[in-house]
This record gives sequence, C-alpha cells and structure tokens, in this order.
Amino acid sequence: MENLDYARLQMAFTLGFHIIFACIGMVMPFFMVVSHKKWLNTRKPVYLKLTKAWQKGVAIFFVTGAVSGTALSFELGMLWPEFMKHAGPVIGMPFSLEGAAFFVEAIALGFYLYGWNKLPETFHWITGIIIGISGVASGILVVSANAWMNSPTGFDVIDGNFVNIDPVAAFLNDAWFTQALHMTLAAFAATGFAVAGIHAFQILRNKRPELHKEAFKIAIFFGAVAALLQPLSGDLSAKDIAERQPVKLAAMEAHYETKKGAPLYIGGIVDEENKEVTHKIEIPKALSFLAFGDFDAEVKGLNDFPENDLPPVAIVHYAFQTMVGIGTLMMIAALIFFISLKKKSWLNNRKYWWLFAILSPLGFVAVEAGWVVTEVGRQPWIVYNIMRTSEAVTPMPGMKYSFFLYVAVYIILAVTVTWLMKRQIKVLNKSIG
Amino acid sequence: MMLYVVLFFTFFSLFLYVLLGGADFGAGIVELFSSRNDRQLNRDTIYKVMGPVWEANHIWLIILIVILWIAFPVYFNIIIIYLHIPLTLVLLGITIRGVAFIFRHYDAVVGASQVWYNRMFRFSSLITPIFLGMCFGTLVSGKIVITEDYSETSFAEIFMFPWLNVFTILTGLFYASLCAFLASTLLIGETTGEIRKLYSKKSAIFTIVLVIMGGLLLAYGLWNKMVFVQDFLSNAYSLSAVSLSALILIPLWKAIKEQHSLLTRFYAGFQVLLVIFAAVNTHFPNLIITSTGDINMMDETAPDSVIRVLGISLIIGGGIILPGLFHLMKSFNMISIPKNITGEDD
Repeated sequence: MENLDYARLQMAFTLGFHIIFACIGMVMPFFMVVSHKKWLNTRKPVYLKLTKAWQKGVAIFFVTGAVSGTALSFELGMLWPEFMKHAGPVIGMPFSLEGAAFFVEAIALGFYLYGWNKLPETFHWITGIIIGISGVASGILVVSANAWMNSPTGFDVIDGNFVNIDPVAAFLNDAWFTQALHMTLAAFAATGFAVAGIHAFQILRNKRPELHKEAFKIAIFFGAVAALLQPLSGDLSAKDIAERQPVKLAAMEAHYETKKGAPLYIGGIVDEENKEVTHKIEIPKALSFLAFGDFDAEVKGLNDFPENDLPPVAIVHYAFQTMVGIGTLMMIAALIFFISLKKKSWLNNRKYWWLFAILSPLGFVAVEAGWVVTEVGRQPWIVYNIMRTSEAVTPMPGMKYSFFLYVAVYIILAVTVTWLMKRQIKVLNKSIG
Repeated sequence: MMLYVVLFFTFFSLFLYVLLGGADFGAGIVELFSSRNDRQLNRDTIYKVMGPVWEANHIWLIILIVILWIAFPVYFNIIIIYLHIPLTLVLLGITIRGVAFIFRHYDAVVGASQVWYNRMFRFSSLITPIFLGMCFGTLVSGKIVITEDYSETSFAEIFMFPWLNVFTILTGLFYASLCAFLASTLLIGETTGEIRKLYSKKSAIFTIVLVIMGGLLLAYGLWNKMVFVQDFLSNAYSLSAVSLSALILIPLWKAIKEQHSLLTRFYAGFQVLLVIFAAVNTHFPNLIITSTGDINMMDETAPDSVIRVLGISLIIGGGIILPGLFHLMKSFNMISIPKNITGEDD
C-alpha cells in the first residue's frame, strides 16, 4: 500500500472512533437531564442514582471525545496539508463556530459536574441542558464542513487557487441540511439503542431491574423516536445525492447500466471486474422511484462515468446495505417499543429484553457504515469534483508507522473505556438506594 | 481592521493556552517531583482547584489551531507539514493525559489501576509541554528545511533533525519548567497548612530551575550564533520584557507571603504574558525561521471575506465564552478576594 492509503486508513480509523465518542457525548446528556428532572420532581432516589451514574458516563465520553477531536483537528492538516491550505479558509466558519459551541459545552460541563449541592437546583439542571444543546450544535456545525466536501460552494477555482471566497455560502452549502439531519437522528438512535440495550441486558441478568427499567425507558424513548424518523431523513438524503452526486448513488446501489425504471438491488455480491452484481434480490423500478420519485426516471449507471472518477463500488454498496438493513431493524424495534407501552405484558417476556440487548451495538455499526458510504463514496475526491484526495495528502513518507501508532493507541483507549463502563455498571448494581 | 481582531485572538488564545494549559501540565509535573505522601495531597488539590475548568483550559489549543488554519493557511501549512512528528507526540501526550485525568477521578472502583492512571498522568504531564516547547523552538531555530525534492535530502534531515536537537530540547525543558513554576505558584494561593508549604517550596525550586533553563537556552543560542537568539538579545523591547518579568518575582513573592491569591495570579499571568511577548516580538511577523530564510505569517493571509467572518465569529464567540468562563471560575472560588479555600470536602 502507498502513503496515501495509510493516510486514508488513519483518517478513517480516527474518525471512526471519534464518531462513537462524539455521538454518545452529544446524546447522553439528554438522558441525564431527563433522569435529573425526574429526581427533582419525584425525589425518588433511583433517579438520583441513575443521574449520577450517567453523569460519569457523560464525563468519560466528553473527555475521550474531546481528546480524539483535538487529535482530529491536527490530523486534518497533518494528513491533508494541501486540502487545508486551500479549503481551510473556505470551511473555517463552521469550525470556528463549532469551537465556540464546544467551549460552551465544556463550561456547562464544569458547572454541572461540580455543581451538585453548590448551585441552585434549577440553574444546575439547566447547565445540564446546555451541555446537551451545545453538544448537538457542535455536531451539526462540524457536519457542515463535511457537507461542503460533498457539495463545494462559495468559491471559484482560478489557476488551482480558491478565490472569491464566500464563507457564509460555503457554510450553508446544499448538502448541509440533509446530512446534519441524518447524522443527528443517527446519533440519537444509535446512542439510545446502545444505552437501552445495556440496561436491557442488566434486566435479563436480574440485577436491580427496577433501576435498569427506568434507565431503559428514558434511553429507548429517544432512540425509538429517532429510529422512526430516520427513514424519512434517509429518503431526503437519497434524493439529494441522486441530484448532486449521481456517481455516489450509483455506487451505493451498485448500479452499472444507465436505465429508465431502474431496479433496486437488495443484497448481492458486487463483481467490480465484470461490472455486475450477482445473487441479488431485484425490485423493479424501485431505484428510479426512491431516487427521483418517478418509477420511470432515468438513473445514470457507473459505466457512464469516467473510469478514474469512480469510488470503490463494492465497499460503498455493502456499507449502504448494512446501514439500511440495520436502520430497518431499529425502526421495527422502535415500533415494538411503542406497542409495548400499551401491551404491558410484553415487558415480562424475556424475548423483548433480548431483542434490545442484541440490537445494542448495531446502531453504531450503522453509523460507521453510513460514514463509509459518504466518505468512500466521494472518492477519489477529497473535495467533490474539485480536488483529488491524492493531491491533498502529506508529502511526508512513512505514514504506515503513524497509522499503526494510532491504531494501537485507539484500541487501548477503546478497551479501557469499555472496561470502565463495565465497572460503572457493576458498582451501580451493587450500590444501595 | 478585522485582521487585527483575528491577530488579537490568535495571540490571546496562545497566551491563555500557555498560561492555563501550562498551569495544568505543571500541576502534573509538580506531582511527578513530589514524595509519595505529597502526591496524594497534590492529586486531591488539583482535582478540586482545576477540575471544573480543566476541560476549558485545553480548548484554547483547538481555537488557536483553527484560527491559524483559517486565517494564515500558508503559514499553517508549513507548521503542519514540518512539525508532523513532534505534533503527533504532543497529541499522544494530550490524549494519554486527558484520559488518565478522567480515569483517575471517575473510575467507579478505586483500586490498583489507580497506580497506572497516576503514572500515565504524571509522565504525560511532563512530556507534553516538552514537545510543545520543542515545536516552538523548531519554528524559530532556523533549522527547518523546506524542499520539494525528496531525493536530495533524507527523511531525517527534513522530518527529524530540525525538531530533535539541543536547542529545541532546551526550549522544551524551558517551557516545562515554566509550567511547573506556574502551577506551584498558583496553587500556593489555593491551599492552606501542610500542602501550602509544599507548593511554596516547589515554587522556589522551579523558579530557580526556570531561570537556569532560560539562561542555558540563551547561552546555547548565542554560542551557536542562532538568528533568533541574537535578535532576541539585541531587541530592546524583548529584553526589557524579560527583565521586567524577572523583576516581578519580587512583588510576586510578597503577594504569596501576604496570601493575596488574586495578586499572585495576576503577577504570574503577567509574567507569562511578558515572556510570550518577548518571544513573539523578537521576530514578528517572521515567526518561522528556516534554513534559508524567514517566513512571514502575514504574507498570504486568507482573503478579506474570510477574515471578516472569522473576526465576527470570534467576537461573538468570545462574548459568550469569556463571561461564561469567568462565571465558572467565580462560582467555584477560583476568583475570590481574599482566598477562602480552606480544604473542606463535599
């Protein structure tokens, strides 16, 4: 492999980790403040216990998210110096606003963590809300920079230089809304299901079920609402991509031949050599409808794009299928949860809890798969149709070693955080109150 | 006009990171150089004193980086390519330190693993500022080799030797001593009794270390005829600033003796400001000195439209963040007249 491949792998790897920490850091504060509110309203100790347990989770994930985010803010330049030299000023606005939002979050977190018994109760609770809101704001803002890479606007390219820069237009680029909506819902769905799943598992083990049932209810509510809305947002994204990045859409669907009334493939094995998909389930005309809202619309196939502008098709197609498949499962589980609010007897069925325990990690698998779709699907471009990833990479040789160093550090980090979370739960189960 | 706002925030973030982040690193260094019993006291003190603002202290680095890449892309480009390896080491240090701090205070089980968290925390507290100092030293050392031709020069000549040499190591040690000096001095004002004596002693020791390091750095630079050091010593403003910061040691010690914690902080902060001013003023705006010449950070700044939006964002962001930060510090007795942390626990 070349330097470029290792640089891409390192970026993928660090972003892949950061996105998990960032999602949990964005969403968990909301669970925490709901539980906190219930404590303030009912004064049932179980809610205080839960709030304090989740607060530790928030603190741990905020810090891991913050350090991995600091690393990323450097890595953007270290791995892609030419990209940052030209694009840095254009996409500076979302990054500077994100910095501000992140700062507000850190300040609010300081108040919240250290404010127990020191600050007035309502003010203290509100600082918890500010953590959540500023966290989500950071996420939405930073997605704007990624959306700009997919739909670059707000500048002209003259002799390889980016001129006539309009940072506001770049900030409000076409892809921002659909991407930010999709990502925010994904963060809520993935974190909601992950946290709910962990508590469902504790219920199955019959460890303090009364506490874990309360925790489950709060977490799954956020997750289920997001999981139900996500297909709608996905539809908006698909139509947007069909229009703006037809080659990415074609790769997602492994759609080689330009066709009117194009079919949708479910599953299938992509043969990139022979440009065909085998072992698939074919739904006639469905792709044309999903992409353009018209059963007979023409969908441009991969064969009609220049060979050196194509992304790796198989990876994008498989990742897309994984994301949609898991999303569908989560949507069904969300429906089951809402029905169980009426049919209380389901709660006594162990299968109900097993369902959510098993789904626990899948939301994050879908998040990762979704990022693979958007990032690998944009290749070979770092800025779509403007700058190639190969033109942006650092001139420093030996990225291989950097990559392995990051892999080692992040794996140790992930193992340790997982182990710490297990200890938190153990202590929570043993504690009295 | 807006360029000046952006420049102000650039150096303001640099100042706050060197000061607050530095005091944070320094607390770990002080702990590293303490006896077993004192370490435990130090651990509890810094958690109580720095805990609430701990996150915020390190965000100044991100703000600084973001401003650099938006407003000074060409300048940033050189930093990020040629300091790739030391910056990676800084990041490694920041990561280990950040997680070790949170692990040692948020692990649900306080057990044997604490030993490891503490070791990780102390060790990374020392190496991170050393690498940070080395990065600054590299920029002004005149050793950076900028080339497009990788066949003529070896990997080590471009990516290793410029940052790994006696001068940069001395710069790194100087910054680490500055951090330790800051932390021990600031912590005197936060404590009473036994631990207060510890910090007074450490503060005296690190003042001496700092002065020695500074002297060594200048002597080495002068001996080797380094452009930056020669310019530094012939620049009246930089020299006066450094001398003034040394003179401030006298009122600083007086303030510490009188337990006037607000004045202590003011003097220590002012000293850092003077040191940064002296270093930056010597060569501003040519803040990179390569083997073949200077690079002016004000050349090829981002276009006006970008600077304008950035300036406005910084003013608005600063308007929200600074009062919030001030209120946070005030709420947890970090700004109080006179000092009133007595050591009660919650």
